Amino acid sequence: MEVKLLSEHYGDDNFKTLEGYKVKGGYEVLPKALKMKPEEIIAEVKASGLRGRGGAGFPTGVKWGFLPNNGETRYLLCNADEGEPCTFKDRMMMEKAPHQLIEGMIISAFAINSPKSYIYIRGEYTYAAKVVEKAIKEAYDAGYLGKNILGSGFDHDMDIYRGAGAYICGEETGMISSLEGKKGQPKLKPPFPAVQGYLKKPTIVNNVETLAAVKYIIRDGADSYKKHGTEKSAGTKLFSVAGDVNKPGNYEVPLGYPLLDLINNECGGIKEGRALKAAIPGGTSAPIITAEEIEKATLDYECLAEMGTMLGSGSIVVMDDTRCMVDMMKVISHFYHHESCGQCTPCREGTGWLHKLVSSVIDGTASVSDIDLLCEVANKMKGRTICALSDAAALPVLGIVPKFREEFEFFIKEGYSKVKGRANA
Amino acid sequence: MLKCTINGKEVEVNEGTSIIEAFKSLDEDIAHYCWHPGLSVAGVCRLCMVEIEGNPRLQIACNTLVTDGMVISNQSEMVKDAVKWGLDFHLINHPLDCPICDQAGECGLQDQYMKFGQYDSEMGQQKVKKKKVVDLGDKIVLDSERCILCSRCVRFTEEVSKTNELGIFNRGDHSEIGTYAGKPLNNDYAVNTVDICPVGALTSKDFRFRQRVWFLKDKPSVCTGCSTGCSVDVYFNQEGLWRVKPRYSEVNGYWMCDEGRKIYKSTNVMNTEFVGVRGEKKAVKVQNRLTQAIHRKDNEVDYFLTSKALENLREDLKSVDKAALVLTGQYTNEEYEALLSYWKSQFKGENVFHWTNHEENWNDFDGLLIRGDKNPNTKGLQSSLEKHGISVEKDFSKLTQLTHVFVAGPENQWVYDDINTKVDIFAKAQKVIWFSAGLVPVSEDLIGNFLFIPTKTFAEKSGTFVNFEGKEQSFEMVESFVSQALSLTEIVSVLQGDSLTWHKPEQVERVHNEFVHERGTM
Repeated sequence: MEVKLLSEHYGDDNFKTLEGYKVKGGYEVLPKALKMKPEEIIAEVKASGLRGRGGAGFPTGVKWGFLPNNGETRYLLCNADEGEPCTFKDRMMMEKAPHQLIEGMIISAFAINSPKSYIYIRGEYTYAAKVVEKAIKEAYDAGYLGKNILGSGFDHDMDIYRGAGAYICGEETGMISSLEGKKGQPKLKPPFPAVQGYLKKPTIVNNVETLAAVKYIIRDGADSYKKHGTEKSAGTKLFSVAGDVNKPGNYEVPLGYPLLDLINNECGGIKEGRALKAAIPGGTSAPIITAEEIEKATLDYECLAEMGTMLGSGSIVVMDDTRCMVDMMKVISHFYHHESCGQCTPCREGTGWLHKLVSSVIDGTASVSDIDLLCEVANKMKGRTICALSDAAALPVLGIVPKFREEFEFFIKEGYSKVKGRANA
Repeated sequence: MLKCTINGKEVEVNEGTSIIEAFKSLDEDIAHYCWHPGLSVAGVCRLCMVEIEGNPRLQIACNTLVTDGMVISNQSEMVKDAVKWGLDFHLINHPLDCPICDQAGECGLQDQYMKFGQYDSEMGQQKVKKKKVVDLGDKIVLDSERCILCSRCVRFTEEVSKTNELGIFNRGDHSEIGTYAGKPLNNDYAVNTVDICPVGALTSKDFRFRQRVWFLKDKPSVCTGCSTGCSVDVYFNQEGLWRVKPRYSEVNGYWMCDEGRKIYKSTNVMNTEFVGVRGEKKAVKVQNRLTQAIHRKDNEVDYFLTSKALENLREDLKSVDKAALVLTGQYTNEEYEALLSYWKSQFKGENVFHWTNHEENWNDFDGLLIRGDKNPNTKGLQSSLEKHGISVEKDFSKLTQLTHVFVAGPENQWVYDDINTKVDIFAKAQKVIWFSAGLVPVSEDLIGNFLFIPTKTFAEKSGTFVNFEGKEQSFEMVESFVSQALSLTEIVSVLQGDSLTWHKPEQVERVHNEFVHERGTM
């Protein structure tokens, strides 16, 4: 069953304006939060068990706790560079409920005592950027942003920054480089952004959904938030479901919800009554799971990790039995080849190599031993680079290829796709 | 101090030392391309992987600081596998054109391949094609296909020369080094990027395709280009010197200026010059060194063996009691000592002139290495003069009143742009005895009585220079290229009546084409 916290008013077209937002109880949590002590907010967020919704799933309150107490200016960055293929939850939030994000951000900024925040919006999200920009202006005009917010003495400024279309700028240090006006390339860690981030100042980077959720945690209290979800994966989560389902879209369900239920109930089952073949549960960076595995899968960090995959950004790609996995692999590996920033050698060279190896299967120039090479290259790219893009490129290979090896072997031996047949080769 | 264990050996390092520095201090082997001790940490080549006890993931040694009690190894199977694959990833799109690559023999990739590789390529697919010849400026050419994008050159222009000409353009495996529009790589330190390039991507126009590096030997020396006195290595074979590279020292760090790299030209008997316009350029060999003593009176020219010329001069000087000595700051302390002692006994230490390059610029300093005093040993000359109580004249018009003028001329003649006017002034004396390594530019119709005695360059003698801050730097002879050339010390001893002791055979032994392996740029 859907539990709507963040997406409750998505259907209300007026909700994106300040007026419409206030009708539904908007900016009622902010005065309450501003009367709390910042430490209390952090403690509440910690107690809620909220984990980063961008993909890594790192506990948000713990991340905030890493900020050093050295008196330096702190920055809050909202990661709205939603680049993971098939993910569109943040986009919808910004387009439908921008004030919800802004309110969450002001509360978070107050909690970490940051005078300035930026929302780094993916370059392609033109409309979302317009809506958020307008909402920020409304918030300024209403006194929710700027100097002495609601008479609390807390000052906060907020701006948007638009990306230029690079997936890597969704990686937090890549985003910081980009925001600093440099080429969007991840930085070496340590130092971590919480210690030395934007302009070498302590910086917290959080996902859109995470920051918006902060508002609901403060509104209802940590205990109420924790009622949703499982013990280790608390709260609700937005899932972007795409692919061969009857009703693709964003669905908010409590963590721990069975994946098969989401596909069959909320999404209306597989298109045209075909059979479910596989699904990628957390964006294309996550390893694929087969139909049998889907039956046992629940949507929480722990269950999916146990299955060797991950919850990631929460974008689910559902595939029916007409999907050729070799094609799928090529599309995915092309993406990472195109998006590698080119800094670390294993990723720069490896992503291209993977793409070429998969392409050679389709071109008919590969031999069966290339399948093992494909897996080996992917294995050697894992965990050896500055950021996780190399892993993101390697993991889908390590998921798809072993699980659907016979499709690859068939393609190499016969020269056409096992699924699509000779006619569609 | 922190204690750590590296490959089973205990070592103490200062706080803030990175693991790679600790490895280097122990002289332990560790592969790396992007890390350079003179630059910031980039951490991109991913070769310096180490295993740290208690950490399941391999870490890069360049960006990890040593902590107390750390147990580090790069001998485990996991590390070896990571390094092997790190090399593979570097090589899959590398053109492997070693036979025509100028870096062959001192290439980081080749060194690694010999150590870890020696197997066939696993890359069966088309490699990424990039530009093979990119002109980056007056001095440097880039081959993008060979480039491994370690970013050392980019960081050099950002952090050391602070000129920011270079950047990495594009993304992924299409990334390429390049210069920003209208900003060619022409700064005064540009060729350092060639030195630090671990592969054959950046090559120096002055050196590329001239010599195979494994046929060159190298020896340490001191740069004679200015009063900074950078530590250098000179690369040579039996024909002469071919290039100069910086050697780490407290004086110059890891770098040297491009002007200093020209000093090798003053040593070679013949230099190759390229004349003509682009496309029709021709290599022309031009004589540079004075190879024997030359007596040139007006239009008559006679050639002598140096020893014979000096014996004649000794006889000649018996009747001379007043003469002048012109000194430049381009000789060693030992030579000044010999010459000034001789001058004191023979000519009472009178009439000593100091010929300088633009003295008004002597305090110029570019903030990094280049100084306005273009003489390697001005300080040494000054203290030698002081020691002998000799004061110098600056008014060169007094010279003409004297019968004999001795000139210890500049070795790097290009920094003395008044050399032609000085030749004209000296020509008015009854006789000019000019000690010079290079040919002195005397026009054909000049009336004058010149005796040119060939001298040794810095590469052919041992000695000491004192740099701008008073630091004494000794250097050893590299190799003899002009058999007739003598140092001022040797010249003085002949003038004082001693017979000349030529080099012992082992000193003039020729360089054999010995394979110099693993020179590397690590």
